[in-house]
Amino acid sequence: MSYGDTIPLHPSSQSDIDEVENLINAGAHSATVLPVRPPSPSRASITVSHSPFPLPPYQKVPPSSSPTPVVPSVPAAAAAAAATAPGESSRIGISTDALGSPPDTLTEPVWDTVKRDLTRIVSNLKLVVFPNPYREDPGRALRDWELWGPFFFIVFLGLTLSWSASVKKSEVFAVAFAVLASGAIILTLNVLLLGGHIIFFQSLSLLGYCLFPLAVGALVCMLEGNVIIKIVVVSVTLAWGCWAAYPFVSAAVNPRRKALALYPVFLMYISVGFFIIAID
Amino acid sequence: MEEGYTSLPASHLLGSVPAVIAEDKTTSVASEAASSANLHLFPPSNGGYQAPGTPSGADEQTTSSWQGVFSISSYSSYFNVDTDVVVERIISSVYPMNDFYRKIDGNPDLYGPIWISATLMFMLAALGNVGTYVMEKRNDSSTTWTFDVNYVEWSACAIFGYVLAVPAAFYFLLQYFGFRTSLVRLWCMWGYSLFIFMPICMLLVVPVELFRWIIIILAGTASSWFIAVNLKACTQSSDLMILIVGAMVLQFALALFIKMFFFP
Repeated sequence: MSYGDTIPLHPSSQSDIDEVENLINAGAHSATVLPVRPPSPSRASITVSHSPFPLPPYQKVPPSSSPTPVVPSVPAAAAAAAATAPGESSRIGISTDALGSPPDTLTEPVWDTVKRDLTRIVSNLKLVVFPNPYREDPGRALRDWELWGPFFFIVFLGLTLSWSASVKKSEVFAVAFAVLASGAIILTLNVLLLGGHIIFFQSLSLLGYCLFPLAVGALVCMLEGNVIIKIVVVSVTLAWGCWAAYPFVSAAVNPRRKALALYPVFLMYISVGFFIIAID
Repeated sequence: MEEGYTSLPASHLLGSVPAVIAEDKTTSVASEAASSANLHLFPPSNGGYQAPGTPSGADEQTTSSWQGVFSISSYSSYFNVDTDVVVERIISSVYPMNDFYRKIDGNPDLYGPIWISATLMFMLAALGNVGTYVMEKRNDSSTTWTFDVNYVEWSACAIFGYVLAVPAAFYFLLQYFGFRTSLVRLWCMWGYSLFIFMPICMLLVVPVELFRWIIIILAGTASSWFIAVNLKACTQSSDLMILIVGAMVLQFALALFIKMFFFP
C-alpha cells in the first residue's frame, strides 16, 4: 500500500482503505498472503505462513491488492473470491502444513455452511434494502454480493404468486420467474449499453435483493383477499423497492441518462406489483 | 546516439508502440470514415466500439469481425441518446409529420423501440385483462375478476414479433429493389411508431364498444400514416407505393389485432 500517492482517490476508496487497514492490524504479526481466488484442486496444499487469525478465503479483500485503483476492481476481486462461494457444501480449503487448524471448509458441518450463507444474505439485505449509512456509497454497499439471495427471492415470489392463483398455476410461476430473471439481465444490459459503469453480476444481485419488499407484499396479499388492502400493501412495498434500487442505478450512469436507466427498473417493478394485485 | 533511434535495441517493443510511418495517416483517415459510417451496419462488424478518429483502428478491423456481435461495447453506439433526445423523438412520433426520419438519420437508437415495446407489452397484458373484465361485468354483472396470464405471452409474442420481423422483412425487400437503407433506422422507426398505442390502451378500457372501435381506427390510421410518411422519406421515391401501402396495411392490422384480442 502506498500512502504517498498523488493520484486522487475515488471517494469510496477511503472506506476500502479503512477496511484493509483493519484487516492488516488484526493480523498484524502475520505475513499471511491470502490468494485472490481459492487455489485449484491440483494445488490444494499451498503453504501459507501461520496466522493466528485465518480468514476464510472468500471473505474480504486481500491486503495484497492496492486500495487505490478504481472501485470496480475491489468488488471484482471480492467477486472473484466469492465466485466459488455460493452455497457449495464442498469447498476448496487452504491446507497449511502442520500449523494449527486450517480454515478447512470441506469438513465443517453443513449447518455451518448454511448459516454462513444465511448471515451473508441477511447482511446484504440490510445493506441494500434497509436504510443504513452506507447506501450512498454504491461501491461499498454490495461488495460482498452473491446470487443466492436473489434466487431465493425470485423463486419465493414465483411460488407465492403461483399459490395465490386459482387457475393456471404453473403458467403463473413460469411467467413470474421468466419476467424477473430475464428482466434483471436485460436491465443490467440496459445500463451497460447506455454507457454506465456497473458490474454485471453485482447488478443482478442488487436487482434481486430489491425484490425483497415485493416478496413480502406478495406474501401478505396471498393471505389477505381484499382488493383495497392489496393495492395499499403493494403500493407501499413497490415504493420501498424502487427507493432501494434508486441510488445504485442512478449512480451508475451519466446524469443526463439517469431517467433512461431508471425507467425500465420502475417498469419491471410496477409490472410485478400489478401482477401481484391482479392474481386472484 | 544522435543518428536516430533506429539503432536502439527495440525489437522487444514491437507491437507495443505503433511505428510512425507515413501510411498510418491514410489508414487512420480510412478508419475514421469507416467508424463513422458503421452505424448502419447491424450487427456491428468491428471487434469493439471505436471512438471516431482513433488511429489504431487499422489493427482492430483486420481481426475477426464476428466477435463484435458478442461484445457489449460494440452495441453502445446504438444507445447513444440522452433523456431529452428520447422524449423529443417520442413526441414527434405522435404527430405523423415527416421530420421524424430526418431526426433519427444521424443517430438511430434502439433504446426507444425496445422499451416502448416492453411497456406496450405490459400495458396490453394488464389493461387487456381489466378491459375484458369491465366489458363482461357490464354485460353480466355476476362475473368475477380473473387474470388470464396468457395475455402476457400473447402480447409479448405479438409486439416483439411485429417490431422485430416487419422491419427486417422490409429491409430485405428494399434491398431487393435496390435501396440502401439501414436496418437499425427501420427498427427505430417502427419501434417509435408503437408509442401511440400506449395512451390508446388506456382509453380502450372504457367498455363502450363503439367508442373502442372509433379509438382504435383513429389510432391505426395515425400510426399507419406515420409509417407511410417516414417510409417515403426513407426511400425518397414513390415508385414503391405497393410497399408503402403494404406497411400501412400491416400497421392497421396490428391495431385491429390489439382491439380484437385484448379488448374483445
